[in-house]
Amino acid sequence: MRRVTPDTIAVVDLGVCDRCGLCLPLCPPEAIHLELNILTVDEATCTGCEKCIAPCPVGALAMVAYAGR
Amino acid sequence: MPDVDVLVVGAGPAGAVAAWQAKQAAPELDVVLLERDRAVGAPVRCAEGVGDAGLREFANPDGADWVSRRITDVILEAPDDTQVVLADSGVGWILDRTRFDAFLAAQAAAEGAAVLVGAEATAMARNGNDRWHVRVKQRGIEDVYRARIVICADGVETMVGRWAGLDTRVPARDMESCAQYVLQGIDINPDAIYLQFGTAIAPGGYAWIFPKGVGVANVGLGLVALKTDGRNAREYLDAWIARRFPTGARTGYTVGGVIVHTTIKQTYTDGVLVAGDAAHMINPLSGGGINNAMKAGRLAGCTAAAAIREGDTSERRLAAYHQAWMDLLGEDHLKYYRLKQALEHMDDAFLNSLARTANKVAPQKRTLGRVLTHAMIRHPLLIPVVARFFV
Repeated sequence: MRRVTPDTIAVVDLGVCDRCGLCLPLCPPEAIHLELNILTVDEATCTGCEKCIAPCPVGALAMVAYAGR
Repeated sequence: MPDVDVLVVGAGPAGAVAAWQAKQAAPELDVVLLERDRAVGAPVRCAEGVGDAGLREFANPDGADWVSRRITDVILEAPDDTQVVLADSGVGWILDRTRFDAFLAAQAAAEGAAVLVGAEATAMARNGNDRWHVRVKQRGIEDVYRARIVICADGVETMVGRWAGLDTRVPARDMESCAQYVLQGIDINPDAIYLQFGTAIAPGGYAWIFPKGVGVANVGLGLVALKTDGRNAREYLDAWIARRFPTGARTGYTVGGVIVHTTIKQTYTDGVLVAGDAAHMINPLSGGGINNAMKAGRLAGCTAAAAIREGDTSERRLAAYHQAWMDLLGEDHLKYYRLKQALEHMDDAFLNSLARTANKVAPQKRTLGRVLTHAMIRHPLLIPVVARFFV
């Protein structure tokens, strides 16, 4: 679990996402999961580092403002 | 709660060969091969190219129905489109991965492995008593498999290695973001593969044309996102195809990641072995992973069988798998990784000039070795790296 709540976190557009899974090993805190053909970014784990955004071959990930839980 | 000896997660080349070899080495063992998708080998998320020698260790391509095309030539293309036809490039094959993977799974089944499609591993935990408890969901129903050894062959997006506590993370500079179309109605030499380089085309990677037949090919590219101008891999591919094959019909597409990293530091732990893309065993220079996956699968299957027969599936016992991999391919893997890093220094102007120099060499002498030698002469930075391959 992270110590500091980030201002922005990554979210996935499931309409664009091809479920290739490229983003999973790129995520340092391992916040991204792929199960039953649905990709999710765990908002409680994402640190807002943005490492998953540019590498997505179809641009399915984006950063959004995050207010915390 | 089924008890199994070897549970293989992922029925791609690594997993299918692991299950096949484990059963062949120890027929008395219960071996289960899980495939998340509804069919082994589909969807195809691969450029489908393999070298002849590596392939033949596992299957005979001559007349096989899982071959799309036999390749006898390699054509490199510089950023300015200058073509360099290489000599002595050897034979390669463009496979039909759906048929090929099914063929390998059938081999495993013929030896007695149980193959389950539409069966996804969703969690895994060690339960004190020497077995991994793996939650598997199939057709909405969840079951727990208690396995002595889990072989993690679940690809780039691997979860099993993670659940086992292994580090499978990849730095951004070692991930090729790829996109590919099946293009029909294009004018290409159907017996050659084409590789084009260039920062405006595929920064940090290359674009490829892998023929599947006359007039039809897998056309794609891989790039490193850190080096792009902000566009994604599919956008780069669309731009390249608009220029090169504006009239080609796109009858299929795929996207995905190719990990061009050195093998993960630890491919094993108590009761777990990691093989193939999941273990970062793809050739870092070519991006080819199929042959390496099969070789690792064979090592994993054999190690698992032996360890179970000996009654010792501990981390210490399974370390032999990692050692066997390093002895077989680990050194070469590192060399290819260093060569990849060194080649990153070659800019477009250099590549264009290198292509022109290469074309001054007589066709029959224009081998890859000679091309790299010319590169070394003009770019001394490459010498210590390239020399290791040819000395």
